[in-house]
Amino acid sequence: MPEESLTAIASAIRTRTLSPVEAVEGCLERIRKHEGRIRAFITLDEEGALRRARALEDDAAAGRWHGPLHGVPVGLKDLCHLEGLPTSCGTRIPGYFASPTECTAARRLLEAGAVSLGKLNMTELALGAFGDNAHHGDADNPWHAGHATGGSSSGSGAGVAAGFFAGAVGSDTGGSIRLPAAFCGVVGLKPTYGRVSRAGAMVLSWSMDHLGPLAWTARDVALMLGVMAGRDPADATASRRAVADYLADIDGGIRGFRVGLPENYFFQGLDPEVANGVRAAARQLGELGAQVKELRIPDAQHMTDVAMLIARSESSALHSAILREQPEALQPTVRARLEVGLAISAHDYLQALRLRAQLTRVFVRDVFDEIDVLLAPVAPEPPPALAPLKAGTTEAFNARSGRFSSLTRPFNGYGLPALSVPCGFSKAGLPLAFQAVGRPFDEARLLRLAHAYQEAAGWHRQRPRL
Amino acid sequence: MTEQRPSQAEVANMAGVIERLAGELALAEEPACFIVALEGEEDAAPDA
Repeated sequence: MPEESLTAIASAIRTRTLSPVEAVEGCLERIRKHEGRIRAFITLDEEGALRRARALEDDAAAGRWHGPLHGVPVGLKDLCHLEGLPTSCGTRIPGYFASPTECTAARRLLEAGAVSLGKLNMTELALGAFGDNAHHGDADNPWHAGHATGGSSSGSGAGVAAGFFAGAVGSDTGGSIRLPAAFCGVVGLKPTYGRVSRAGAMVLSWSMDHLGPLAWTARDVALMLGVMAGRDPADATASRRAVADYLADIDGGIRGFRVGLPENYFFQGLDPEVANGVRAAARQLGELGAQVKELRIPDAQHMTDVAMLIARSESSALHSAILREQPEALQPTVRARLEVGLAISAHDYLQALRLRAQLTRVFVRDVFDEIDVLLAPVAPEPPPALAPLKAGTTEAFNARSGRFSSLTRPFNGYGLPALSVPCGFSKAGLPLAFQAVGRPFDEARLLRLAHAYQEAAGWHRQRPRL
Repeated sequence: MTEQRPSQAEVANMAGVIERLAGELALAEEPACFIVALEGEEDAAPDA
C-alpha cells in the first residue's frame, strides 16, 4: 500500500477497501524499516498520526467524510507551523519558528482529511540545493544511496519516493520543491506566486517563497493543489483569483498544445544525459499531439541574478537574529549564504525589485505569445554523490549549489508555475526530470501535460529498491 | 592588492549586473508592477 499513489490510496479509503489506520500503519512500518537510511523526518509523530487515523476511521464508518484526502498519510516540511509540534526549519533549535497562525496550506490538507505523519527534513533554513543537514542528518536518495536528494525540501522528496507517505508539502524559493522532486523521481509543483498562501510557514524571502505539493503523479499533485490553493486573509500576497478544478480536464490530452524548448540558457553546459532525457520527453509530447518547437527566450540569466539578489537581501534581514546572536549554530555553508545579503545595498535591492517587474512582463509577453508551455531541464546534472561535495570548501559547495539552482531560480523570479516531472533515469540509475513552465495561474495546463506524458511514458510506475 | 572574500565578489558581481540592467528602466516601473504582470489587467474574479 505505501508505494501506491496518493489518488489510489484516497480512492481505496473512500471505497472502504483500505482503512485510514491501515494506511497509516503501512507507512509507519515502512518508515521504521528504512528511516535509518533515508532520514526523511525531523519529527515523526506516530502517536498523533494513529490517533487521527482512528478518529477518521470512526468518522468514515459513520459516513462523515472530511474531504478528498480522508485518511491519506502526508508529510509536512519542517517550516510549516502547526500547533503541537516544534518547527525547527532544519536548524538545531527545535522551536526556531512559531507563528500566530497555523500554516494555511498544511491546515487545508488536514481539513480535507489528510493525516500528518510529522515534520520533514530540510536543508537548514531552506538554504541549499542538495538536501544536506548537519543537525538532523543528510537525507539520502532512495534510488541510490549516498546521493543527494535535492533541497531544500529533502524529506518531502525522499519520503514520497521511499513510500513513507503519499504526498508532501514543500517550499520553493529557488528550486526547493522542483530539485528534490527531480532528484527523487516524483512530481513537484511550484505554483504561481500567490496561488498558495504562505501564511504560517517560515519566510526565507517574501518575494520568492512558494509552497507547493510533491507526490508520485500529476493527478496526485492536482488533487493536493486544489485543496491547498486559494485566497487567505492571513497572507496579503495570496491571490483572489478563483481556484481552477485541476482534475476536471486532466484526462483531456494535449493535442494542439504549443510546447517550446528554449534555444538559449537552459541547455548550456548541460549534462548530456539530462539533455537527452528532456529532448526525448519533448519528442514524446509531440507524438501525443503537441506542437513542439525550439525558440529563443529572453535571457534568463538576468532574472537569475535579480532573483538571487532579492532572495539574499530578504533572507539576511529575516534571519539576522540568529546570524548576529548565534552564528556558530548555523552550518558554515548556510552562514556564508546569509552573510552575503548583509553587504547588499538598499539601492541595489530596490532596483532589483523594479527590474523583476519589467523582466516578468517581457518574459510573459514574448514567450507565451508563441507557446503555451516551456519545457526545460530542472537541474544541470543527475543527482550528485554527496560526500565529495561536502569534502570541498564552503565556497566550492555554495558555488555548486548555485549552479544547481540556476535552472529553477528564474521561475521564482518570474513567479510562473513550474512543474517538475520525472523523465527517465541516468545510466547510473538516478532520476532525470524536466520542468514544464506556463502562463501565470495556468497550473491546470501543466498538470494535464504532465499527466498525458506520465500515462504514456510510465516512469512513475517504477519504485526504488530500498 | 587585497584579495576579495568570495561573498564580497558575489555581491559586487550581482550589483554590477543590477546597475547595468536598471539603466534602462522606465520611471514608472515599481515593484508592485510584478503582481500586475502576473494577474493581468483583467480583474480576476474573487473566489469569495
